[in-house]
Amino acid sequence: MGLDRRAFIKFIVGGAAGTLFTPIPWKLADDSSIWSQNWSWIPRLKSGAVTADATYSKLCSAGCAVKVKKVGGLAFGVKGNADNALSQGGVCPLCANGAQMLRSPARVAGPMKKDGSAFKAISWDEAEALLADKLKGLKGQSGKVAAISGDGSGTANEVLSGFLAGLGSSAYYYMPSDQTTMAKAWNGIMGGSGQIGYDLEGADLVLCIGADIMDAFGPTVRNQKAIAAKRPIEGDKTVTLLYAGPVRTRTAAVADTWVPVSPDGGAAFALGLANLLIKSGKGASLGGFGEFAELAAKFGPDAVEKAAGVKTEALMTVAKALLMAKNPVVVVGSGSGQGGGVALAAAGVALNALLGSLTVLPEFPKAVSHAPDRSGLLAKDVVAWLADVDAGKAPTPEVLFVYEANPAYALPQAAAMAKTLDKAGLLVSFSTYMDETAALADLILPAPHPFERLDDAQSPYGLGKATYLLATAVAAPEKDCKSTPDFILGLAGKLGVDLGFGAFEDVLKAKVQAIGADWDALAAGGAFVSDRKGSAQADLGASALAKAAAAPKAQGTLLAALDHLNIGTGALATPPHALLTVRDTELYGKDLFVQMCAATAKSLGVSEGAKVKLTAGGSEITARVALNEGVMTGVVAAPLGLGRTAWDPFTKGKGDNVSKILAVSAEPGTGYSVWAGSAVSVAKM
Amino acid sequence: MEEKKGTKCCGGFLAFVLGFLLSVVAGWVLFPGMLYSELDQPIPFSHKIHVEDQGLTCDSCHFFREDGSYQGLPTNEQCSGCHSEVVGQTQAEAKYVQEYVQKNKEVPWLNYQYQPDNVLFSHKAHEPFECTECHPDVAKADKAPKYYENKLSGYSKQTMKMWQCERCHAENGVSNACHVCHK
Repeated sequence: MGLDRRAFIKFIVGGAAGTLFTPIPWKLADDSSIWSQNWSWIPRLKSGAVTADATYSKLCSAGCAVKVKKVGGLAFGVKGNADNALSQGGVCPLCANGAQMLRSPARVAGPMKKDGSAFKAISWDEAEALLADKLKGLKGQSGKVAAISGDGSGTANEVLSGFLAGLGSSAYYYMPSDQTTMAKAWNGIMGGSGQIGYDLEGADLVLCIGADIMDAFGPTVRNQKAIAAKRPIEGDKTVTLLYAGPVRTRTAAVADTWVPVSPDGGAAFALGLANLLIKSGKGASLGGFGEFAELAAKFGPDAVEKAAGVKTEALMTVAKALLMAKNPVVVVGSGSGQGGGVALAAAGVALNALLGSLTVLPEFPKAVSHAPDRSGLLAKDVVAWLADVDAGKAPTPEVLFVYEANPAYALPQAAAMAKTLDKAGLLVSFSTYMDETAALADLILPAPHPFERLDDAQSPYGLGKATYLLATAVAAPEKDCKSTPDFILGLAGKLGVDLGFGAFEDVLKAKVQAIGADWDALAAGGAFVSDRKGSAQADLGASALAKAAAAPKAQGTLLAALDHLNIGTGALATPPHALLTVRDTELYGKDLFVQMCAATAKSLGVSEGAKVKLTAGGSEITARVALNEGVMTGVVAAPLGLGRTAWDPFTKGKGDNVSKILAVSAEPGTGYSVWAGSAVSVAKM
Repeated sequence: MEEKKGTKCCGGFLAFVLGFLLSVVAGWVLFPGMLYSELDQPIPFSHKIHVEDQGLTCDSCHFFREDGSYQGLPTNEQCSGCHSEVVGQTQAEAKYVQEYVQKNKEVPWLNYQYQPDNVLFSHKAHEPFECTECHPDVAKADKAPKYYENKLSGYSKQTMKMWQCERCHAENGVSNACHVCHK
């Protein structure tokens, strides 16, 4: 019997039939259910103990007290720290995305050096040797080494500014903010000491002139908590919230009254209120009150209407509310969180002084004794300095450090500022992310993500009491990063600059000891709050104020740039999750939207959805029009934070950067760089 | 001609039967052996030493955390409570301390009943059951059981399948709705 073709087929068929009586098909079918879970794109969950470690997140400008949720030691989420008085369980949209940003594709993997148009990875030792070699020859040369910091509250600034001082340079600047403008007003023009604060917790009326306290001004979460505590869903409302500004912002949306005030009219509006208060018998014990009263008297209701577009009745209503309130507080700022005039800041101080609500927080003692005073540094004008560098009036820095800041993107007239930054001999970025400044830099020395490092915050601007907070490393480093102050301390040691410390942890421990706080309590997420008051002795600075307030009003359409925390900050692009919260009237597809009321649109000859070109400050952006009756006539509102050219695929190329068209001018009387409410040309495309 | 046809018919049937029998034998005898790789745990572990000699109980190492989640296989955090340094005489312990504790590296224990992440299995919800109703009884074992890894799926031979979950749920009057296990 041979095996012919027919027999072979029957053999195969028999084999196949027999297989059905074995476990083979059934086992394979059964196993395929779990085998299908092996595909590489299916995320693998980490298992382990679920914990929540307290720290202070500095992803937003003021910072949030948070708890970082972890599973098996791996950070996966963030919640507010209910035990911290500042946060009370709340968290801002940026810090809420902190865990996600630990693994952002934009993170810088390790130290890198520019090699042609690309970057080359180098070691930390190489980076230190390179910088030490470069800085050795610059020691003692004024202005040849400079730094720009975007961290308004950290002791790391003492290390960096102390290092610069040790090298003989005083070119240490902060990125512009409402805090720096107020420092220029209070610590500069008015000669005060300490830091201006706002006691929202004790207020029964809060008047915000420009300051969008519910969105991006100061410690937003604390602002929201302070107001919400006195406006319960059930029960009596015990605080009145008034908002004065050119756009119905998120603060205006929940305020009792929105008073439309032109973008450049805040100071006139405040002086008009001061005039009415003084006429009602209010006075202030600050120096130069008589001169100030004379100045305020020039801002009668008609003058205010002309300068700020506020009707007499509205002005009188606000003044009456301020007079009737027991503890009114006036918060001043700009909707964009930067570029507001010193005049507005000084007028805000004067108003609070007249109302008996002036709050001054004392400065905490320095840890690095060689470091210049913080208030003096805050009062400096980085925009004016860069303009001087560009014009050859100030030395071009051979080494320019950029810490926690993204000036190439976020400074006004950003394109021009980026060109000036590029002139620096060696631009060194300490950015955690590949932002626009890092992309421009010659050397990137990545700082750890805020959850991966030791840091602190002393009295974030906007608080009502001197407060100190500590940030501890609660997540394992995802990249080859190094704490910037630690790197600087190492560099200082190599260059023979004695800062008195070898490690940043020792700096912070000295700081905590100097202020009398408890390290362990702070490290556990607590806040040190001091009831000490700073000196309220100062001059009202009426002469400078008079010149600033008399400045000619900008003509044409005015630009109101808006800072929205959910869109990000200059130093942090929109986190991918937060991108979903950007409104269609701000960004749709890749188009930026600017907002204006129907009357403004009609006068400009544009309609809803029209593509327009906005030009100012020697630069232009493109956008589409969204009609919004919450914008004053003659004003175009535009969100900051979009139009990234670096970062990640989630944010890059979406919208346009409004900072490019923030036109800078020098404020008369103070010489300070201002751009809030600058004129803009709008043309249909 | 008729004789030839008869031969062909018989030969064809025999080929069918032969194929049938060979595949049945291969399926029941050879296939299970070919499907699995036999592996040992990275560190020989004696439950007997820990339970009988040291007086530990199951929940000394396999315990519920405060939040109700389950610490299945212990990590260095638990083990180094006793084994931060070598305390016994065995090579296995010395290897564990030198290669894992001192290098701060977790032992890649082979999990006999790992469930993929599309399933949420709560030990807390199954607490009333005896451990040995699902897991092998190893309390008195001096050696860890052999680990049989499915060469195709990569999972352990003992991995519990959905039909087993469903049967137990049905027998105990628990819902078999998708969301009960697939969150």
